[in-house]
Amino acid sequence: MKRTRSIAGRGAYWGIAVIVITLLFATACKKYDDTNLNSPSLSGLLENATVAELNNLVTGTEAQLRANMGFYIDAVGIVGREHYRFSNSDPRYLTDLLGAGSTVLDPNGFYITNPWEARYRCIRNAYILIGSADNSAFVTQAERRGYHAFARTLIAYQLLLNLNLTDANGVRIDVADPDALGPLVPRAQALAAIMDLLDDARNDLVDPSTEFAFPLSAGFAGFDDPAGFLRFNRALAARVAVYREQWSAVPDLLAASFMDLNGDLHNGAYMSYSALTSDQLNDLFYPPNASGEVRLAHPSYAMDIEAGDDRINKAPLRNDTLTQADLSSDRDVAVYTSNIDPVPIITNEELVLIKAEADIQLMNTGDAISALDAIRTAHGVSPYAGGTTEQELLDELLKQRRYSLFFQGHRWIDLRRCGRLGELPIDRPDDNVWVRFPIPFAE
Amino acid sequence: MSAFPAASFAQLQVTGVVMDGSTGERIPGVSVLMVQDPTIGILGVATDIDGHFTLELPGGTGRLRFSYFGYKDLLVIVADSNATDMNVRLEVDVARLDEMVVTGIVTNVRRRNLANSVATISAKELMGTTSPQTFDGALSGKVIGATITSNSGAPGGGIAVKMRGVTTFYGNSQPLYVVDGVFMDNSAIVPGLNAVTDAQAGGNPVQDNMSNRIADLDPADIESVEVLKGATAAAIYGSRAAAGVVVITTKKGMGTGGTQVHVSQDIGFARAQRLLGVREWNAQRVEDTYGTSAVSLFNEAQAAGRITDYEKEVYGETALLLGTRVSARGGNERTQFYLGGGRLNEDGIVKHTGYKRYDVRANVRHQVNERVSLGFTSYFVNSDADRGLTNNDNTGVTYGISLAFTPSFIQLQPDGGNYPNNPFASSNVLQTRELVKNNELTYRTMNGLTLKALLQNSERSTTRLVGRGGFDFYSLRTRAYFPNALQFQSNGAGTNGASIQGRASNLSMNMYGALVNEYTFGANNLLTSSLGATYELGKLDHMRVTATQLIGTQTNVDQAGATSVTQDRQDFRNSGFLVQEELDLGGRYVINAGVRLDRSTLAGDITRYFAYPKASLAWNIARMPFWNNGAIEGLKLRAAYGQSGNLPPYYAKYTLFSSANTSGLPGSLIDVTRGNADIVPERQTELEGGIDLSYKGRFTAEVTVYNKVCYDLLLLARMPPSSGFTFEYVNGGELANRGVEIGLGAIPVTGEQLRWETKVAWWTNTSEVRKLSTPAFTPNGSFGNSLGTFFVEEGRSATQIVGVTGNVLEDGTPEIGVLGDAMPDFQMSFWNEVTIRRNLALRVFVHWKQGGDNINLTEFLTDLGGTSPDFDEDANGNGVADGIDRLSDAGAQHFVQDASYVRVRELGLYYTFPDKARGKVLKGMRVGVSLNNCFTFTKYKSYDPEVSNFGINGINTGVEVAPYPSSKRAFLHIAVDL
Repeated sequence: MKRTRSIAGRGAYWGIAVIVITLLFATACKKYDDTNLNSPSLSGLLENATVAELNNLVTGTEAQLRANMGFYIDAVGIVGREHYRFSNSDPRYLTDLLGAGSTVLDPNGFYITNPWEARYRCIRNAYILIGSADNSAFVTQAERRGYHAFARTLIAYQLLLNLNLTDANGVRIDVADPDALGPLVPRAQALAAIMDLLDDARNDLVDPSTEFAFPLSAGFAGFDDPAGFLRFNRALAARVAVYREQWSAVPDLLAASFMDLNGDLHNGAYMSYSALTSDQLNDLFYPPNASGEVRLAHPSYAMDIEAGDDRINKAPLRNDTLTQADLSSDRDVAVYTSNIDPVPIITNEELVLIKAEADIQLMNTGDAISALDAIRTAHGVSPYAGGTTEQELLDELLKQRRYSLFFQGHRWIDLRRCGRLGELPIDRPDDNVWVRFPIPFAE
Repeated sequence: MSAFPAASFAQLQVTGVVMDGSTGERIPGVSVLMVQDPTIGILGVATDIDGHFTLELPGGTGRLRFSYFGYKDLLVIVADSNATDMNVRLEVDVARLDEMVVTGIVTNVRRRNLANSVATISAKELMGTTSPQTFDGALSGKVIGATITSNSGAPGGGIAVKMRGVTTFYGNSQPLYVVDGVFMDNSAIVPGLNAVTDAQAGGNPVQDNMSNRIADLDPADIESVEVLKGATAAAIYGSRAAAGVVVITTKKGMGTGGTQVHVSQDIGFARAQRLLGVREWNAQRVEDTYGTSAVSLFNEAQAAGRITDYEKEVYGETALLLGTRVSARGGNERTQFYLGGGRLNEDGIVKHTGYKRYDVRANVRHQVNERVSLGFTSYFVNSDADRGLTNNDNTGVTYGISLAFTPSFIQLQPDGGNYPNNPFASSNVLQTRELVKNNELTYRTMNGLTLKALLQNSERSTTRLVGRGGFDFYSLRTRAYFPNALQFQSNGAGTNGASIQGRASNLSMNMYGALVNEYTFGANNLLTSSLGATYELGKLDHMRVTATQLIGTQTNVDQAGATSVTQDRQDFRNSGFLVQEELDLGGRYVINAGVRLDRSTLAGDITRYFAYPKASLAWNIARMPFWNNGAIEGLKLRAAYGQSGNLPPYYAKYTLFSSANTSGLPGSLIDVTRGNADIVPERQTELEGGIDLSYKGRFTAEVTVYNKVCYDLLLLARMPPSSGFTFEYVNGGELANRGVEIGLGAIPVTGEQLRWETKVAWWTNTSEVRKLSTPAFTPNGSFGNSLGTFFVEEGRSATQIVGVTGNVLEDGTPEIGVLGDAMPDFQMSFWNEVTIRRNLALRVFVHWKQGGDNINLTEFLTDLGGTSPDFDEDANGNGVADGIDRLSDAGAQHFVQDASYVRVRELGLYYTFPDKARGKVLKGMRVGVSLNNCFTFTKYKSYDPEVSNFGINGINTGVEVAPYPSSKRAFLHIAVDL
């Protein structure tokens, strides 16, 4: 059959077609928005962050200080024979960490990878804060210095904690650009770089115009403005100077910190915890007399303590004695009394002990003894009556550090830097004391 | 060619009846079209239930084309002489050469001219034998080339479909579903049970056993399903087609012959396909397993006759299945409609579980005038599934895990209303079954509109406009309730009750428009050109509140001491263009070439268009002039090439921040997974070739080989942790799948007394990971080498399972080796229909999967709990109980078990009452009985070889951890036509 008729109104249909097709093509060519609906995205924050967004980064960085501190304290505390960790889910606390038999520390082990990753995640967040503050048009130069000083101080602190784990194996210092990571840097060089970061931050903080446009948590009460934060920064610097054995630098650093020989020893900067949304609970707390997952004080803690020392309360007697893998203890670790207790970053007690150590090294024996006595009397022990040779005083200092800073991750590091790891007790014949952790495999 | 004349001058009334050429069975629903109509079948009707039709032909004569699925088309010239009481006999076409198959979004081609293998499943094959609960269940085993695995037996569906092997590791692994042109979302919305089960503790993905939302489709509404398995067929769907496309067409109205009303009722029962049994206890075994203190418990229980088979107690219910449907189809020359409504109410084989679905559908087509027609499809469904608490956990609370640790001499029955605590496990499974609620409730609507217009029509050229669009919207509520009376939620255990409620609303919208020109040249050559544009969007908003420390027996999330909230929003837009040319040279050569250009907000660069080309050639040798073998009606060689894509997930391109607060201050903390702003869609290239043969319309054979390569695979690359990140999304893998698909069909016997139609399909697929830019990795969802795990490794099958072999290497470390592969060696299906004297029909569908391993951890759990039924046997004769043997075996080999099976999926016997038995009101009546999944032959040692603890996620189908047991179902069917 052949087509014979033309149909009226054909033009109208073509008109409709043109409209429909044009609409579709227009839709198909439309410009789209490219933002994520669920959370801020990196590219967005780096572009032109508002003050509120920068402050979110500050809080996020501060919040991350707490991540995996349970693993960190367990790692250095168990190796340093401060406590045992009994666990039904993981035997490696009592094998790998105590060097049982032929076991070695695993570069994929949770005890190194978890804290290492958490610290560098905090550092990444701090670098993002720096980059965002630099690119933000909403902040003044004075406020920008505030963000810088905060970020660099925390970066230094986080690097120091990782270096505490790996020591001579080093850490990666230059990590500002995730796509161009610097080399692993040995200990001395790393400590110098950490000190440089702290000093950079100090230079910003001492500028009288510098402002903190951000709030900090309750744990930083008294340290949440440039002047206060400077005292915190110098306190960390004093710890680093001790690690570097730059004794003559210590007095000035302490003077610029919040050290107070007669002040409250608990004064200091803390990590705070709460049960609020997206907050964290203190993972160093276990209820007393628990079973299954427990932390127990190393038996030597009670054996070596002087009579009357109130620091025995950090390791109270349990109702029962627990035994696992030929290890037993009848004392809980009870440094914290609830799952929202704050955890110290650095306190006046440590600063007084730093003063004592520097005084010993600088031969200011009298000052050293009065600093030690400030600690002893605060804990209900009579003033120091022992010998006054450098060796004797150092013995006393390390003992006070052991009890004052118990379960804060110091003993192993102190003994290591003093070359005294051999003094640590060995519980089982085939156990070993590790000197350092391996660099995580994924590095 | 000719146009339909606007004004009619002479009318010719045509009446007749259409029947099966061999059996004389009348065929309802046959399409009767006037051939002159060049466009869209302005003039057409369908036969009624008795095969009758009535049609007014404008003009005194005309040609009518009779076509029906499964029969050859028949062309009849009608004039006054034969216009009344026509007797039209259609010949069965087992090769379905005349069936229309989609080749583009707006174009179809007859199967005889098709250059790809496209699997088509008719309504009869889908739902004609028995009544599977959901559409996904109805599809099982019926798609040649696909591996379809139901995740568990939990009411409400949940199924993983893999077309021609694994196509992705971290991207979307499920096909795109298109229902009457509307893209149907197939997400699985997470109910958040993990807050109680802690199943994800080891860093594993979700194991909440939720259904995927394709289950919302009522399979009874479906007219046909076409499955585009790979890129050769699916290229025109562009960047969402890499996992295949399932094109679903629902039932439509009929022209004349009055309105037909169809009412059906199914009544059935379901029971567990298989129970494993429990261990027989004696005092010695109790002492060996639980210590001396438990012996008195056992003695007491035995003395009191209180030995209980708790597996049977929990999984042993007989469930009642009820299904009712009413549908009507009718219309006139200008308007046709299909209306359908269904109610399904099925209990589960565990008390307090079950599935309900209520749905209505209206499909209307209206011819506005001779040039323009409008079609409208509308569907509303309410589904309500109580799915129970099953699958893996780390708190010992799901039915299966609790049962594994519950010996039969323990007393769990309630004393009054109080359930005793289970002394050997952290939960009392009877209490859990009674008190825990895990519900998915969906309200969903899908609506689509089709506009067709004839723009231009001349002797050699016809131009049409086709516009189609629609939306699919659902609101889903998940509700999991764990009251604080539960053993695992009281006295310091758990969180003192948990109420986990989620609300998800999801909108998918898509539309496309195209101009299609058909140009005839030469004697019998046709060039079809299409040019179109597409637009798609998706918006998901999912909020979930986890309330713990519940107040009393309250379930509201504000009646709680603590709550946590999550929200996930996703939004994407895709748009693109398509061009396609199809050249049909006298039916001898058919050449098709096209390209789709797509861009998406999910890609790194949202302005970039990705091109997905395709080309194919079909050579109908039997139509060549030199061919003179009349018996071989069809002999075709075909080859096709195509590309398609798989869009990255919503998160891949952005580096995001979690909220990390302290002291009530809001904080942002960088995520450990780094996004990649340069991410591109995964791309698939497929080359396919085949040969089709049909002999005398009674025998057909189709053989296809393919080679499918997926590259730019989305991977998670490890980063040095000092960067602050642990993983980064990259495009960096290449994966090949090769396979063979063979389909045979035959009608060995045909006649009035007996007719037998049979179909056999065989298919196989092998895969190889060709390249990885990252080190070999364990994909999401694994329980490690000691229990057997999937492991993606260059040069190996994508679905290999590795684990510790039990040997120790020289350096003292355990040897890791390949233990199995989840990919079946081959699959076969057998479909048979025997019709006796036109009234009695027997249909049987059998599915055979040969090879393919599962990781069976259910047995591991019962061994650990000391409750395996064969714990005390000694199959290897070493004097040690098999349970102990398995527990002390350092290797993972015994978890990796052959999951081959032969399953009689469907068996149905139907009797259609003969014409003379019909009354005036009752036009037809059919009764039948059927069985669904009633017979399974397998050596696999658990409930069902079809299982997936990780759901539709990625490649790890076949990991089993305490699933909801699958059921077998028996039905009585009654259907009447009014």
